[in-house]
Amino acid sequence: MRDPLNRRILREIKGEAGKYAVIFIFMVALIGIASGYFIADESLKVAYDNSFADYNIEDGNLEFAEKPDSSVLKACEDEGITLYENTYKDAPCDDDSTVRLFTDRKEVNRVSRLDGELPAAEDEIALDRLYMKSNDLNQGDTIVLDGHGYKITGIIALPDYSALYKDISDFMFDTEKFGVGIVTESGFDRVSDSYIHWSYSWKYDDPPEEVFGSEATERGDELVKALAKKAVLANYIPTCRNSAIKFAGNDLGHDRIMMIVMLDMLIVIIAFVFAVTTSNTITKEANVIGTLRASGYTRFEMIRHYLAAPMIVLLIACIIGNVLGYTVFKDLMADMYLGSYSLVSYKTLWNPNAFIDTTVIPMIILIAINVIMLASKLSLSPLKFIRRDLKRHQRKKAFKLNTKIPIMTRYRLRVLFQNYAGYLTIIVGIFFASVIMLFSQMFSPLIDKFSEDSINSMISKNTYILKAPVPTEDEDAEKFAAGSLKIVRGDFSEDVSVYGISADSRYFHAALGSDTVEISSAYADKYGLKVGDSITLSDEYGENDYTFDISGIYEYPSSLVVFMDIGFFNDTFDMDEDYFSGYFSDRVLDDIDEKYVASVVTEDEVTKTSRQLRRSMGNMMIIFVILGIAVVVLVVYLLSKVMIEKNAQSISVAKILGYEPREISGIYIRTTTIVTVLSFLLCIPLESKALDWLWRAMMMEYPGWLAPDVPASAFIKTVAMGLATYFVTTFLLKRKVNKVPMDEALKKPE
Amino acid sequence: MFIEICDIKKAFGEGESRVEVLKGISFELEKGEFCVLLGPSGSGKSTLLNIIGGIDRADSGHISIGGEKTADMNEKALTRYRRKHLGYIFQMYNLIPNLNIKENIEVGAYLSDNPLDVDDILKTLGLYEHRHKLPNQLSGGQQQRTAIGRAIVKNPDILLCDEPTGALDYNTSKEILRLIETVNQKYGSTVIMVTHNDAIKNMADRVVKLRDGVIRKNTLNEHKQSADELDW
Repeated sequence: MRDPLNRRILREIKGEAGKYAVIFIFMVALIGIASGYFIADESLKVAYDNSFADYNIEDGNLEFAEKPDSSVLKACEDEGITLYENTYKDAPCDDDSTVRLFTDRKEVNRVSRLDGELPAAEDEIALDRLYMKSNDLNQGDTIVLDGHGYKITGIIALPDYSALYKDISDFMFDTEKFGVGIVTESGFDRVSDSYIHWSYSWKYDDPPEEVFGSEATERGDELVKALAKKAVLANYIPTCRNSAIKFAGNDLGHDRIMMIVMLDMLIVIIAFVFAVTTSNTITKEANVIGTLRASGYTRFEMIRHYLAAPMIVLLIACIIGNVLGYTVFKDLMADMYLGSYSLVSYKTLWNPNAFIDTTVIPMIILIAINVIMLASKLSLSPLKFIRRDLKRHQRKKAFKLNTKIPIMTRYRLRVLFQNYAGYLTIIVGIFFASVIMLFSQMFSPLIDKFSEDSINSMISKNTYILKAPVPTEDEDAEKFAAGSLKIVRGDFSEDVSVYGISADSRYFHAALGSDTVEISSAYADKYGLKVGDSITLSDEYGENDYTFDISGIYEYPSSLVVFMDIGFFNDTFDMDEDYFSGYFSDRVLDDIDEKYVASVVTEDEVTKTSRQLRRSMGNMMIIFVILGIAVVVLVVYLLSKVMIEKNAQSISVAKILGYEPREISGIYIRTTTIVTVLSFLLCIPLESKALDWLWRAMMMEYPGWLAPDVPASAFIKTVAMGLATYFVTTFLLKRKVNKVPMDEALKKPE
Repeated sequence: MFIEICDIKKAFGEGESRVEVLKGISFELEKGEFCVLLGPSGSGKSTLLNIIGGIDRADSGHISIGGEKTADMNEKALTRYRRKHLGYIFQMYNLIPNLNIKENIEVGAYLSDNPLDVDDILKTLGLYEHRHKLPNQLSGGQQQRTAIGRAIVKNPDILLCDEPTGALDYNTSKEILRLIETVNQKYGSTVIMVTHNDAIKNMADRVVKLRDGVIRKNTLNEHKQSADELDW
C-alpha cells in the first residue's frame, strides 16, 4: 500500500502556496539563467572550436611591406607552409571608424554568412554582424567607405576576426570603431590602394596537433624568424598568438566557474530557507509527528515525507528552468557573448554538464542540507513530540537581560535570539545579494574611472608609433623608444609595454635611473610589486629574459608599462645609441608622412576598452541587479513569514491583551528591520573585501588591469535598492501580522 | 450597571451548516461582581466571553461597559478598550514562550499607565524565585499563576477567565481559584469566569447557566463559598 501521507504533500504545497510560489519563481529564473548560460557557452565554444576545421582557419598570417613577387612567396613556402593571399584595405568610414575590406575567401578563413547574401556588385558589401550592431546598421543600409557607397547585402562573421582587434598589439578591440567586410573584386578596387596591406595567411603542410598547444607556439615562432630572413615583413603572427582569433575562445567558458559558484551559493541559501521553513512546520505538527512515530512510522519515513514537498518544487523548477534555459535564456546569454564577439553561426547543443550543474547538484545540495536538518530535528523521541518538547537541551533559565533595558527592547532581543537561525540566513542572504548588486553598481563608475584615468595618465595627447625613425621639425615632439615584453605566469602570459624615455623629458614627470626602471601603478597593483622589487620579463619568443630593478612606481593606472631611460632601453635591447621608435607630442605632427606612422595613440584610442566593456557587459549588470533584489525578497520575506507564523500565538495574545498593530509590528517586524538594516550597513566592509578579492582574482586571468574601486555611490545605491526592496516587503509582512486572528490564542492544542 | 449584555445573538457558518451559538443573551453585572458562566461544551459560554472581551463581534445585540457600547467601537477603539479595561486568563495560559516569567508579566504592565509593581506581584504569586525561568520550565499551575500576574498587573476593571483551571489538577486548580478570588476582593476587579466545573459556581456572586445558546438560569449566590471551601 502506498504511504497515505503522500496524499498531503500536494495539499502542503497548496496550503503554503505563497511560500512555494516565491521559491519556485526564483528557482525557475535562477536555473533558467544558469542553464541558458551553460548551454550558450558550451554551444558557442563548440562552434568556435569547430570553426578551425569548418572554416579552415589559418595557422598564421604575415604582411609584406610591399607586394611580394612569386619568388618571395615560393621562398616562404619552402618553410613547409602554403600561403593564401588575404590582402585587405583598411577603408575609412565617414564616422571615423575603419572597415577592413577583403574579397571573398574561398579556401582559408572562409566566411560565415549569418544572414542575407554575399555581395555580387561592386557597390555591395557583406558586413560583420557586431560592427553593424554597434553602429546601428541594417541590411539594405548604405555605408560610405573611402567616399564610395556600399549597400549592405549580408551579415557575416569572419572566423579570423572573432574578436575585432584592429591591430594585434591593441589592448582591447572596439567594435564601434573597427569592423570587417567582404566586397567583390571590383568593389575592392574602388578603395584607394593607399590603404592596402599585403597580407597572406599560411597553413602548415604538416600542421601541429593542437592549434594553441606548445608545439604550435614553438613552430610559429621558429617560422616567423625564418620568414623574416626571406622577406621584409611588416607584420607576422602565428594563430596561437593572434588575439583576434584566440581571445574569444579563451573567454568562452571563462566565467563558468564563477557562475557555478554563484548558483551553488544561491542554492545553499534556498536550501537553508527550506530547512528553516520545514523546521517550523515540524514544530507546528509536533504532536502529529509524535503520534505517527508512536504508531510505528519510522524516522526515515518522516524525513522522506517532509523532504518531498521542497524536492518536488525544486525538481519542477529545475525542469522548467532547463526548458527555459534551452529556449528563452539561451539566446539572452548568447547575446552577451555575441555583444562582444563576432562569432560564427552556432547550433544549440544538448549539454549534459549543464543539466548536472543546474539540476543534479542543486538537488543534492537541497537534499543534503535538509536531510541533516530533518534527521537532527526528528531524532527526538515520539513522546517528546507528543509533549511538544522539541528542545534538545532544555535551558533551566532564559539567558539574562538587564532589566533596565525597556521591556519592548528585551522582547525584541528575545525574538532575535529565538530566531537566530533564520536571522543568520537573512544576514548571509543579504551579504550575498549585496555583493551581487554591488558588482553591478561598481561596474559603470569603474569603467568611467578607468576611462578618466586612461585620459589623465596619457603621457602626451598624441603618441606616434613609427614604422621607421623619421625626423620631425615640430619642437613639441619628444623622441621615445618602445617595445613589448611578456609577463609569463604558468600558462598565462600578457604583454607589457616598455618605453625608453628621453632624458629630461617634458612629458614623463619622474627622474629615471640609468639602470633601473619605473613601472606603472597598474602593473604594481596587479602583481603586488613595490620599489626595490625585481621583475623578470620575456621577449616575444621567450628566447631572452630581462630582469629589472624597480626604482619607482609611476602613476599610470590604465595599463601595464615599464618605463626606463632611453639609453638604458637601447643598451638593453641592443639598439643603436640614437634609436627611437616614436614621438610624444601634445600637438598633431603634420610633417611626418603617414606611411611611416604605425599608429597614433589618442584619447579616442585609449578609451576604446571602456567603451567595449560597457557595450558587452551592460545587460549582464541588469541581470545582477534583478538577481540581488530577488535574493533579498526571497530570504527576508520567507524567513520573516516563518517567524511570524512561529509566533502567531504570541501575536494573538498580544492583540487580545490590547497591543496595537503598530506595537506588535514593532516587536516582530522592527526586529527584522533592525537586522536587515544593520546587515546592509555592517556587511559593507566585508562586501568591499569580498568584491576586491573576487575582482582581483577575475582580472588576474585577463590581460591588462582594471583596479577594483568601489565608489561610495555604489554602496549607497546598493543599500538604497536593498532597503527599498525590504521596505516594500515589510508591507506584506505587516499584512501578515495584522491577519493573525485573535482566536489563534483561544485554540486548544490538538 | 457596569456591564450590560443585551440580546446578544451569534451564529457561525452559512446555509445548512449554520449554527446559532448564542440566541439572545441578556444579563447585567455590577462593578466588582464575580460572575461564573456555567455550561456544557457547545453551550456558547466561551463565545460570549470573547464577545465581551471584544475579540469577537455579535451578530446583533450589544454590550455596554461603563456606558460604552462595544458594538460601536472600531478595531482601534476595541484595542484601546481591551488595553484599558480588560485582563484575560486562558485555559492554556498562552504565555509568550521566549520571554521569561518576569518579562511575561511586564508585557501586561507595559499596557497600563498605572501598573502594579511587578516584583510585588511575583512575590504574591510565589513566582519571584522563578522569575528568570522560561514558561516551559514551570509547572502548569505556575504558568497559570504567571498568566494571572500578566492579567492583573495592569489592574484591570474586568478580569475574563476562560476555563482557567481546565488544564490543572485539583490542588492547583484550587490554588488558582484562590488567587482569582483575591484579585476580585483586593483590587475590586469584576470577574467573569467561564467554566464547566459545577463546583466553582459556589464562589461566584452571580451564576449564569447557559445551554444551547440560551440562559437557563441567572441567579445570585446567596451562600457564597470561599475557594478554600470548594470541593469536587
